Amino acid sequence: MKLSVLWLSGFAFSALLVGGYAFGNPGAQVPRDLTQSEERRSGTNNAHLPLGLPPLPDTVQWPTKAAVELGKRLFFDRRLSFNNTLSCAMCHLQENAFASNQSAKAVGFEGRTLQRNAPSLLNVAYQKWLFHDGRENHIEWQVWLPLLSPVEMANPSIGSVIERVRHLDDYIAVFEKTYPEEGLTPNTLGHALAAYEITLVSGNSRFDKWRFGNDDGAMSAQEKAGFALFVGKAGCSNCHHIGEQTALFTDMQFHNTGIGYKAMVDPVSSYKVELAKGVFIDVPSSDVERYSEKPINDIGRFAVTLKEEDRWAYKTPTLRDVSKTGPYMHDGSLATLKEVVNYYNGGGYANEGLSGRLAPLNLSAREIEALVAFLKTLDGELSYWETSTNQGVESPAAIADDGPVVLRPPGERE
Amino acid sequence: MLARWARVACVATGLLSAMGAPTIADETCNSPFTSALVTGQEQFMHIWTLGMPGLGDESDKLVTVDVDPKSPNYGKVIDSTSVGGRGEAHHTGFTDDRRYLWAGRLDDNKIFIFDLADPAKPVLHKTITNFVEKTGYVGPHTFYALPGRIAIQALSNAKDHSGETGIAIYTNSGEFVSKHDMPTGKMGGDGYGYDIGINPDQNVMLTSSFTGWTNYMMDLGTLVKDKEAMKNFGSSMAIWDFKAMTPKKVFNVPGAPLEIRWSLKPGDDWALTATALTSKLWLVHKDEKGEWQAKDVATVGDPSKIPLPVDISIASSRKHLWVNTFMDGTTRLFDISDIHAPKQVYSKKIGNQVNMVSQSWDGKRVYFTTSLLANWDMKGDKNDQFLIAYDWDGKELKERFKLDFIKQKLGRAHHMKFSAKPQSAAIGGTLETYRSLTN
Ligand code: HEC
Ligand code: HEC
Repeated sequence: MKLSVLWLSGFAFSALLVGGYAFGNPGAQVPRDLTQSEERRSGTNNAHLPLGLPPLPDTVQWPTKAAVELGKRLFFDRRLSFNNTLSCAMCHLQENAFASNQSAKAVGFEGRTLQRNAPSLLNVAYQKWLFHDGRENHIEWQVWLPLLSPVEMANPSIGSVIERVRHLDDYIAVFEKTYPEEGLTPNTLGHALAAYEITLVSGNSRFDKWRFGNDDGAMSAQEKAGFALFVGKAGCSNCHHIGEQTALFTDMQFHNTGIGYKAMVDPVSSYKVELAKGVFIDVPSSDVERYSEKPINDIGRFAVTLKEEDRWAYKTPTLRDVSKTGPYMHDGSLATLKEVVNYYNGGGYANEGLSGRLAPLNLSAREIEALVAFLKTLDGELSYWETSTNQGVESPAAIADDGPVVLRPPGERE
Repeated sequence: MLARWARVACVATGLLSAMGAPTIADETCNSPFTSALVTGQEQFMHIWTLGMPGLGDESDKLVTVDVDPKSPNYGKVIDSTSVGGRGEAHHTGFTDDRRYLWAGRLDDNKIFIFDLADPAKPVLHKTITNFVEKTGYVGPHTFYALPGRIAIQALSNAKDHSGETGIAIYTNSGEFVSKHDMPTGKMGGDGYGYDIGINPDQNVMLTSSFTGWTNYMMDLGTLVKDKEAMKNFGSSMAIWDFKAMTPKKVFNVPGAPLEIRWSLKPGDDWALTATALTSKLWLVHKDEKGEWQAKDVATVGDPSKIPLPVDISIASSRKHLWVNTFMDGTTRLFDISDIHAPKQVYSKKIGNQVNMVSQSWDGKRVYFTTSLLANWDMKGDKNDQFLIAYDWDGKELKERFKLDFIKQKLGRAHHMKFSAKPQSAAIGGTLETYRSLTN
């Protein structure tokens, strides 16, 4: 199988975007190349992005091997949290496409319930806005939110994180080697973690082969029917965009689909609880209250922009690898893709701010099946660098080569 | 393997008794390899207590209470040793010589080894901080004495915080020896772990299964509402060849089977467990053909209300079993003289919640504590946290004292272990020797 090779160019990423910025002009932020080397800058040419993915946005620097290896170690290192319990990878599980199937909302420091579901980090390099509410806008800065959040990795300060890393193994030597000018600083820590995350690209799905690779046999008739619905009757691609040559399945915008509003107003009188496989009981919510913490309210994008139209609006997620990233939506409230399609079929939970692009779809049972089948064709090949036994801390000796990272399809090693 | 342990243990016990050092204690649920059973009056109670934000020093601590009715300090806290921070303090276990009490934390995986040379004043002797590094497991839960060794049943793993886990063996002095994954694959196991119970006569070890870090750390209400998370509970028990440390058979026991109690009577070949979610008592026994089997023998409370049976305590007479149900804060006494048909004969509400139960060897004194897991305990003013002591006269539980752990600024009261000064109590040797003396 041959991968299509896309050369990185000065592709104007913002051209993909519709609409304005909510604050400032973060799109203009191009962080310094902290590895300070011209070849490395141009080394981006070696990025073999899988079929179906557009060039990376200008704001993202294609990383060097050294930075990626270092970032990978950091990403899997549980000692980066205050009590040595949570690494980035404990909430973004590699086996779950860097999301987590284990719970609707992520579980953090000392078991605290996070406000939201942990999203997949596959293709995160393309994200214009980070988090479901888009409150962060650069992947190198994003790392500080989980590192410092008292409910996530719970470090008390930036300085304490730097001190912590300084005292672990020989990170310091690796930082000095990777970033000769700067060594270990908040900037380089963010750069290294981001470097690893940028390599988590996934494409070349059956859909990509069919749509962009002229492989007619890559999808079944039912799946093709599902695609026709996705871009047609069901109107999904109005928000989950599909381009001419590539597709990210997102418009990078925020919409009120009613999920957040529903969670706020919808009174639940009882919960159907599975006690053991196939054994269900109904538990009255008054019972559950006795041992429930107070649920955290969530007003979506509104909390960031304070614009009324952003009330209960959330980012349109990419749908790549979506079969592996359940439970779905910002709060993990829908367990299966079928539940998601059924939800859309009903037109979304009615509320004042509900997106005008949603309306009852009148899909038949067969159409629903087809749409779900189509969504399952979006499982990509995780062509991240070194397909990996990514269990964390590797010897720094392995990080000798400081050339740019080259992506390989799974199974094929350098 | 066992033979070597046994030799080591004999030497160790000999040495220690020569020095007069070991602390004696009992509990009908201790490992049969634990020496020096207290068959008389227990003197001290050690309670592994979870720190609570906003309360006292907010840290996990080992609290020691004087439980000798003849003492002027009866029912009072006589010692409290903080270990720093909150790491989900949970269970404890003695080494076979009873000199040391190992106390684990399920969140940050630290293991604290307390020296009980003077049981009135436990001293933190050693802290193991590399359990995860050595084993890959997370959540050191059950500490079970083996000759010269301690077996630690974990609940989770460092790869994904799911329920797949195993058992680690350490020496009494705290060195890692080996690790043994819970059965999966062809055997039918789900890889989950919870408790260990060994029957040396039968050369079998029985294990049960709970859930991984993500679930046991999660707010209980959030968990009950989370359909995906509710799928991640154990539904198996495994019987192992103990000497070989290899699993022989896996039983399907749905709904998270937890504490394991073997009958302490010589020749008996059965154990009981309770399933937390499905509210059943399960019997694991040898059938007529000599095959190990598991079957459900009784229902605990009204399963549709999820009473959540948690700790159970078997009487040394093997005629009775205390079963606590967390959600309704009730303890229930089951008559188990017909082990195939246990019957509830008594119940009493202990508080808004109740978790652990420990009884004296003669069954005349019964103690309860309240905390299950920091984020599973009731919220607000329903969050009772106490140690309560009762006398049991065969008909009624009569309160002796109650220590409010919140008023005392201590925290959430969890696992209890008894101890006594070496020279003071009726020492019956190991359970093995006790058996040979009394039967
Ligand atoms: C305790 C669980 C947890 C940990 C630990 C954690 N995350 Fe996350 N992560 C989440 C959740 C939940 C969200 C979504 C939060 C929101 O939208 O408010 C998220 C969002 C993200 C996003 C945004 C993705 C997008 O598409 O918008 C990135 C990137 C990310 N995390 C990377 C990291 C990195 C890097 C680390 C380690 C430094 C980390 N996370 C640690 C749970 C976690
Ligand atoms: C109005 C724009 C819009 C339309 C039209 C739309 N979506 Fe979405 N979709 C979103 C947003 C926004 C979210 C995130 C909602 C949230 O997190 O609460 C989402 C979430 C999803 C998710 C969950 C992904 C995840 O990782 O949690 C799936 C699956 C999905 N949409 C499929 C579809 C399908 C299939 C259709 C057509 C039937 C469709 N969407 C139509 C905007 C849209």
